[in-house]
Amino acid sequence: MKGRTTEINTIIGNIPDVTIIEPFELKDGLTKGCISVFVEGLTEAIQFFVEISEQYPFKWHDSETIKFFNSELLDYKHIMEDGSACIHTAHSPVLSKKLNYDIESVKAWIKKYYINRELDTHYEHLIVPRRKFKDACFAYFFNEVDYQFSKNQYGYLDYSTINMGHFHKDRCTSSIIQSFRNKDNKELVEAKWNFQIKSLEKHIGVYIFIENTPSKNNRWIFEKWGDFADILPPDFLKFLHFVEGQFRKNEGAHLPLMIGYKITESEIHWQAVMLEIGNFPIYGEKVNQQWVSQLDKERIIDWAMTRDCSYKYFFGRGKLCDRITESKILMIGVGAIGSIVAKTFVRTGCTKLDFIDFDVKEPENICRSEYSFTTGLNNKTDDLIFELFRISPFFEPIKGGYEFSETFNYFIKSNLSDNQLKSEIEKYLNSYDIIIDCTADNDLLYILSRLNITSSLINLSISNHAKHLICATEQNRYEFITTQFNGSVLEFDTEDLHNPTGCWSPTFKASYNDINTLVQFSIKHINLKMGEKKQLRNFVIETEDQNGFNIKLKEF
Amino acid sequence: MNKSKHLEEVIKTHQITKEKALLDKHIQKKNEVKDALEEKYGTDIYPPFNSGSYAKNTAINTKFDFDLVSPFKRNAFSSSGTLEQMYNDVYDFLYDKYKNEAEVKKQKVSIGMEFYADSDGDVIKIDVVPGRELNQDQYSDDENLNLYVYYKYGNFDAGSERIKTNVKTQINNIKDRATNEKDSIRKIIRLLKVWKNNKGNYPTKSFFLELITIKAFDNNEITGNLWEKLKVVLEFIRDNVTKENFTLKDPGNSSNDLADTLTTYEKQQLSSDMENMLNRIGENDENLKTYFPENQKFKEEVSNKNEYGTNSGIPIPPPKLNFG
Repeated sequence: MKGRTTEINTIIGNIPDVTIIEPFELKDGLTKGCISVFVEGLTEAIQFFVEISEQYPFKWHDSETIKFFNSELLDYKHIMEDGSACIHTAHSPVLSKKLNYDIESVKAWIKKYYINRELDTHYEHLIVPRRKFKDACFAYFFNEVDYQFSKNQYGYLDYSTINMGHFHKDRCTSSIIQSFRNKDNKELVEAKWNFQIKSLEKHIGVYIFIENTPSKNNRWIFEKWGDFADILPPDFLKFLHFVEGQFRKNEGAHLPLMIGYKITESEIHWQAVMLEIGNFPIYGEKVNQQWVSQLDKERIIDWAMTRDCSYKYFFGRGKLCDRITESKILMIGVGAIGSIVAKTFVRTGCTKLDFIDFDVKEPENICRSEYSFTTGLNNKTDDLIFELFRISPFFEPIKGGYEFSETFNYFIKSNLSDNQLKSEIEKYLNSYDIIIDCTADNDLLYILSRLNITSSLINLSISNHAKHLICATEQNRYEFITTQFNGSVLEFDTEDLHNPTGCWSPTFKASYNDINTLVQFSIKHINLKMGEKKQLRNFVIETEDQNGFNIKLKEF
Repeated sequence: MNKSKHLEEVIKTHQITKEKALLDKHIQKKNEVKDALEEKYGTDIYPPFNSGSYAKNTAINTKFDFDLVSPFKRNAFSSSGTLEQMYNDVYDFLYDKYKNEAEVKKQKVSIGMEFYADSDGDVIKIDVVPGRELNQDQYSDDENLNLYVYYKYGNFDAGSERIKTNVKTQINNIKDRATNEKDSIRKIIRLLKVWKNNKGNYPTKSFFLELITIKAFDNNEITGNLWEKLKVVLEFIRDNVTKENFTLKDPGNSSNDLADTLTTYEKQQLSSDMENMLNRIGENDENLKTYFPENQKFKEEVSNKNEYGTNSGIPIPPPKLNFG
């Protein structure tokens, strides 16, 4: 290790504009030293205490293992609470290279945030220390609501616990905010979650909207209740006292307080604080012969974790184009292909999906679809809806149960010759923006091709061994699909089919991986076309397994 | 597969005479609308006439184009009347008269009437195209008309009054070529209409396809069997429609360019559709059936011996090969 310390001193000593103030030494398992860094534009160099961990030059848990501290820089952007600079640097397994990269990053930080005082275009949340409350962590998820809060507005809120898990080694309870009520307990607004989440058991919390950021420097959130002394109005403290009395019988239980403030002109952030019933950070004081609630100013605030789960953040990292996600979608057939399409749609931002399938999920369906074993035999539509609820809090099926599927199937196949009913069926189907037919039911294909459907109707089916995926998007879908499968166009093995035990029709052989590869490829293509507002054309995805996997999309 | 033989069958099963009952219903309804217009506008209107594909000998039986051109006198809507007034007046009249039996809607240059299905389930569609002579009483001499553009039509802006044309010359131009070269031009036009109709709501007008087919024949030595002729026309469209200097002169008014009825994207899409079609058919002849299907309603059943599953003499249904 001594050799490494010497090497560090030598390398850093040779970096231009860097001076070693205190040579690096090994202390408490860390290599520590002090340097000064000069960047053009500074009147004098800035000093940093440097700590290098044993893992260096490798990262540890996504964090750099070198830290540059200067507690006088706390007011600057991207300086952590401990005074360390948050630097974005490059990977190198070579000590000398990595030290050069990291000090270059410190120089870049000085130039950007110290000299130029640049502001980032994206909002930077306040730094909230993660603390346990009574040996556990708590997290609260909120969502934007259609309501304008006024400054100092306070009241009750409903929240529901969605899971009790772990955050690293700590127990962690995650909850969602359901609705806001006024101080007289009258409901003001509900959060936009799906109805399964809305139906969870509700508990009481409180909130106050303070409008301005609870921070002295726009970097770190307040630490002690005393920081709120000039912010929280006496009425609210009185309200807190009342609430504590109201729940006195639950002494020792927790009660969340959400503190709301604006992060942009139109956006509110809520930050949760944990309160313990019987131990609220307030006390009574007699002023002019009257008891008044006062803040326990020295008490540390038990901030809890809070996440904004509004649609734009929930799907902020990636979604399908608006033309798809904003559509009302009907999925007919949720077997292997249909369930994968449905799950992909829900994960990528679609919220309004209805399902039609009268089939029951069997254990052997699970290996290549999006169903789970533990729900046993179950109607596919019910099972899938349950799966999708777990993924997106915004997924909101309107119709999709077994009864609906049976009714649809009966009507569409029985009334093609009745013009009035046919017209009603068309009207119903045209209330959807997109209809995806994954049934591979040629009767249904024929019927759909004879109806006047103005929605985007997309048929998806697959050949044995998932050699091809056929996607029909045009009016000639019936002719297209029947031609492709007439035995003279697409070439694939028609003999090696899977015969399930019992009196079932043979089905195709293909794994989840085989099918999903083709389905995702086709969704990618459809998303691209729709995103560019281009017309969808029928297409076939062909695969070839010789000399590695090859995939090709042919548009018709 | 014999591609030309298949295409001949496509044309045969799409012959308009095979849908005589439906054709008669269209003719009857067209005459009713014509009489209604003449009764309403009296001496302000010249006799309306059909300018659709039936009039041009290029009709197919899966889509009847009945366009009823209604030539108005210059002062029919007062001497200072606008084309917009003419268009709206005709729309108001048709809407009031037919609102209980048809959906009446404003279209690009016409007023579309889609009559609700009758007891046979048949739907009659008639498009009325209001036009106005250029100067009072001049129509009898030159048959020229100004049309009103209701909403954006390719590169023509909504509200534009600049479409001047001679519909009768248009009809005769197509009709003469289609009749004189019925084994080539007429067949190709009908095949392209089958293709377009199969695509659903395709932006390219039938008139555009008629003119571009004629242009392809005028620009190429087109010989060989039906598929070979069709292929040359498809290649011509693929290669030319997106060219900057590509024009399609309206035979009714050479200063009208039909190429302007498509946007740049629509031209690219048309070219790309031609390319895809040629590639797919090139890869496998059977794909021709996807683009040019026979009208199943009039397809003659052929003996299926030697086909799948019939060797034993007992017909076996073909297996299901598409899965979900």
